[in-house]
Amino acid sequence: MYLEGASTGIGTIESFPAVAPTLPEVTCEAISPQRAEVHATWQHWEASRISHHGESCCEVAREWLTATDHTHLGSGSPFTGPRWLRQRFRWGASRFPIHWCEAVRKKTLDCGAHASLAYEVFRFRGVPVLRVQMVQQFSEIAAFQWTNNWNPDNADELPWIDRDLIYHEGCAILTGSDRIKVWDSSAGWWLDPRPSEGYGAMRAIRLSDASINHGEASLKWGMNKLPISQWSLL
Amino acid sequence: MKIYISGLYSGTNPQPGVGIARSVRAAYPDATIIGVEYSNRCSGIHWNDFDEIWLQRPWEEINIEVHAGEIKKVLDSGALWISSIDLEIMWLAKSFPDGHPNLLIPPITALEQVSKPAIPAHDGFPVKISPFISTQVSDWELHAFCREHNWMVWLKGPYYDAVRVRSWAQLVEMRHLLSTAWATEDLFLQAHVSGYEESISLSAYQGELLDCVWMRKRDLTEIGKTWSGDISEVEPELREPLCEIISRIGWTGGAELEMIRDTGDGMWLLEWNPRYPAWIHGATITGRNIPAKLIEAASGVPGQKAASQGNEFTRVVLEIPLRPQYPLSPLPEPFPGEVGHSMKHPSGLLQFAGMLHKDEKSGSKKKTTTSAATPVPDTFIEDLNTFDLASLSTPTRIFLENTAAKGFRDASARAEAASTDTIRVTNAYSIKTDPDERLIRLALESGFYAEAISIPEVRKALDVGFRPDQIVLNGPAKWWQKETLAEHSFFTVFCDSLNELDQAIDRLNSGGLQTEYIGLRIRTPNVVSRFGISIATPDEFNRVIDAVRRIPQTTKLGVHFHMASSNIGIRSWEFLFQSILRWCSSLEALTGRLIEVLDIGGGWFPEDMDGGADEGRLKKAVASIPDLLPHVKQVLCEPGKALAQPSMALAMQILEIRDEEEHVHDVVVDGSIAELPMHFFYPHRILTQNGSDLSWTPLERGKTRLLGRLCMEHDIVASNVELPKSARVGDILVVCDAGAYDRSMSYVFGRG
Repeated sequence: MYLEGASTGIGTIESFPAVAPTLPEVTCEAISPQRAEVHATWQHWEASRISHHGESCCEVAREWLTATDHTHLGSGSPFTGPRWLRQRFRWGASRFPIHWCEAVRKKTLDCGAHASLAYEVFRFRGVPVLRVQMVQQFSEIAAFQWTNNWNPDNADELPWIDRDLIYHEGCAILTGSDRIKVWDSSAGWWLDPRPSEGYGAMRAIRLSDASINHGEASLKWGMNKLPISQWSLL
Repeated sequence: MKIYISGLYSGTNPQPGVGIARSVRAAYPDATIIGVEYSNRCSGIHWNDFDEIWLQRPWEEINIEVHAGEIKKVLDSGALWISSIDLEIMWLAKSFPDGHPNLLIPPITALEQVSKPAIPAHDGFPVKISPFISTQVSDWELHAFCREHNWMVWLKGPYYDAVRVRSWAQLVEMRHLLSTAWATEDLFLQAHVSGYEESISLSAYQGELLDCVWMRKRDLTEIGKTWSGDISEVEPELREPLCEIISRIGWTGGAELEMIRDTGDGMWLLEWNPRYPAWIHGATITGRNIPAKLIEAASGVPGQKAASQGNEFTRVVLEIPLRPQYPLSPLPEPFPGEVGHSMKHPSGLLQFAGMLHKDEKSGSKKKTTTSAATPVPDTFIEDLNTFDLASLSTPTRIFLENTAAKGFRDASARAEAASTDTIRVTNAYSIKTDPDERLIRLALESGFYAEAISIPEVRKALDVGFRPDQIVLNGPAKWWQKETLAEHSFFTVFCDSLNELDQAIDRLNSGGLQTEYIGLRIRTPNVVSRFGISIATPDEFNRVIDAVRRIPQTTKLGVHFHMASSNIGIRSWEFLFQSILRWCSSLEALTGRLIEVLDIGGGWFPEDMDGGADEGRLKKAVASIPDLLPHVKQVLCEPGKALAQPSMALAMQILEIRDEEEHVHDVVVDGSIAELPMHFFYPHRILTQNGSDLSWTPLERGKTRLLGRLCMEHDIVASNVELPKSARVGDILVVCDAGAYDRSMSYVFGRG
C-alpha cells in the first residue's frame, strides 16, 4: 500500500534537451597500478546508501522528499539540479547507517547522504540517474580543518581524507543517449567537466550503481569518456 | 597609429573602455591610445594605458553637431575610433550615415537589426527570445502579460536599465521612473528566464566575422555583472550562423550577445550589444585578443599575438593614482536625509537620451506617448445605459446586472463543460469576495454552492435560500459566532490547522459536527501564506498523516488548495495545482484514506477564467486529476473574484481640473481609494461619456492623475490616463472592474 501512490510518480522523460555541442573526446584512462594512489584509499568503497526500516516511517520520509521536490521544481525542467536540498540540509558529518526517516530530519548531512537524496529525487522525476564517486584535490590546510571539524571521535585521521585529497560523492544524470552531467549535491552545483588543476580539481571519478539500461559501456561527460563502474583519472 | 576609445566609466557597472585599452595596448605597444570620456568622474580616465585623455563636457553641455565635426576631423586624420557607449554608437551611426572607414561601429541598418527586445538579426541563430510586450499597450494587457508570466518579468529601458517587477504597484512606479529618466514611454516588459549567463563577444569588419569567443559567467556581482568567467571557443554550430548574420547585416565593430542557458540547456538571447563587453580583457588574458583583430582588419597592421594565461579570468579592485591634470571633483552635497549620492551615468547619458529622442521626434513626428485603451465588454455599456448617471449622488457603485448574470451563466457552463464521467465540477460562490445579496442570489440560481468563512456568512447564505448541505466552510475562524446558528449538516468543512482538524474529529465522533466531507487546507512547502496546514517538514507531514488516519470512516475526505492565480500567475497556479495533486496522492497512499472532494479555490482574474488563448483551463486541470487521484468525485471551483469584479463599477464626478503649462496634469474626483481599495493591485478600466451622443469611451493612457477626494497622500485613483479635451468639472467618470474586493473591502473615510 505504501508504495502504491509513490510508484505513480515514476515516469520517463520523453525528450531530452538539446545536446551540448560536441567537443573532442578524451577517453579517460582506467587507473593503472602505478597511478592508483590518487584514489587507492577508496578503491573498494561503495557509494553511500540510506537504509530503509521497511516500515511506514521511512516511506513517509521518502514521500515527503519527492513531493517536496515536485513543489520546488514548479515549472522547471526535470533536469534542474535540486538545490533546495543543499539549502535545507547543511553539509557536515553523518553517521552511517542512516535511515530515511532519520536523514530527512537531520540538519546536517554528508556528501553521501546528500547524493542519495538527490539520486532519489532525480529518479522520481523520471530522469535516468547514476551515483558518482569522486576524488577531489584541495589542500592540506583544508584537510586539517575538516579533520578537526568533522571528527566526533577524535580520530587522528578521517577515512575520506588522504593528505590533500578527499573522497566525495554526487550523482550524474543522463542528458542525452550517452551524455551525462554531474551534480555535486552537497555543493548545489553542476561540476565542470573541463579539465582543471589545483584547489577543488577533480582527480578521479567513478560512475557507479549504474542501473540505467543505456546499452553503453561508457558515458560522455563533456569531453571525457567515462567507463562505467571503473575509476577514471582526469 | 592613433586609436580613440570611448566609454571609460569604471564603477560597479563598468563600461568596456579600460578593458579595450588594455587589450589594444597588449597587441600594439607603440600605439597612441586616447581615452574619450564625458565626465571626469569616470575613473577610467586615470588608467595608465591611455596616452592621452580627450575629456569632453557631459552630454547635456555638448553641442553634438560640433562634436560630430570634431570626431570627423579625428577620423579624417587617420585615427581609429572604437566606441563603447551604446548611445554614442547610435548617435555616431546616424551622424555618419555613410560610415567612415576609421569609425569602427555598426551601420544604423545593422543597429536596427539588433534592437531589443525582438533582435530581428537573431533569425537563423539557434536561440530563443523570451516573450515581451511593449509598455505602450494598455494597462489591462500589461497586467495580463504579468499574470501569464507569473509576475516574473523585467521592465526594461530602451538602452539601459532593467528592473524586476513583482506587482502591479511596483510596475506602475518603475514605469514612471524609467520613462521619466529616459524621456520615453517606449519601454518593454520581458518574461524572466532562469539559468546561467553566458555570452559571445566578437569583432567584425564590414560584414566579416574576425573572431569570437564564448564566455560563461562564473561569478557575478550583486547586480548581475561579470566578476569572473571562463573563455572557450564558439562551437561551429553557433559560429557558422553567426558568420552568416554578421555578413547579412554588414556588422563592423565589437559586439556582445548576452544569453541565458536554461536548466534544460536551451539558449535564450537577451541582448545584442553593439560594443565589446566590459570583461573583454578577460578574453585577451586567455590568448584571444578580440579588439586587436578589429584594429588589425581596419589598419592592416598586425598586432602582437596574445599569450594564453589559462582559460579563466577574474576581477579585483585596484586603487590607482590620478592623472594630475584631472583632480577629483568635489562631492555633491547630499540631499537632506539621504545617504551619499549616486554615481550612475555621471556623463549625462540620461540627458543625452533625451536629446536623441527630441531629435527623433522632431525628425519623424513619431508619437512617443500612447493611446492605449482597452475596450470594455458590450454588457458594461448596455448596463450603464440603463442608469441616469447625472441623477446619482456620486461616488456611487453601480451594479451591472446583465454583466453579472452573464458571468454566472458562463461559469455554470464552464463547470458543466469541465465535468467528466467521474468528476462533477461545482462552482462555489465565495461570499466574502462580495457579499452583495444580488450576487449570492445569482449564485444560488446558477447552481452554485456557497462558500463561507464565518457563521454570519453561513446565515446570509441560508437567508438567501441555500440549503446547509450546499454550504462549504473554510477559513481560520469559520466557527466565529457559532452560538448564533442552529446545528446543521454542511456539505464540507475544510480545516485550516491541525488543531482545528483534531477538534473537528472529536466533534465528528461526538456528533457535535455534521458534514458530508471533512477536509484540510494544505499549504505547500515553498508557499508563503498564513493559511492552511504546513507540510514543510517531515514531522509536520507525519502529523497530517496521523490526523487523517483518525478521521472517522463515516465522514468522507476532502482537500482544499487555494492560491490566487491573479497574484502568483497562471502557470505558477497550474504547477502548484499539480503539486497539490502529488501531495494528495502521497496522503492517500500513506493513510489509506481516499480523497473524494477537491476544492481548488479561487482568486482568478476574470479574463483568466473565461476565454483567452487558454480557454478550457479548468477543463484541463480537472482532466489531470484522475491520473493521481482516481477517487475524486467532485471538484469545487470558487470563481468569486472572476465573477464579482466586473459586476460593479464606480461612478465618480470631476471636482477640479488643474491645468499646468497647457496640459492637464491632475484632476480631483469625488471618488477615492476608500471605494477602490484594490487600485494598487490591478488596473481598472475607466469610461467617460461623450456629452453629445452619450457614447462611452475608455480613457486612453496619458500623463494625467486622478486624485481622490481624501486628504491622504496615496489617494491617487489612477495615474497615466488622458482625459478627453472636452472634460469639464461635473463630468462623470465610471471606473469599471470595481466589484469583488473593491466592494467588500471598501471603507468609510472622510465623510464626517
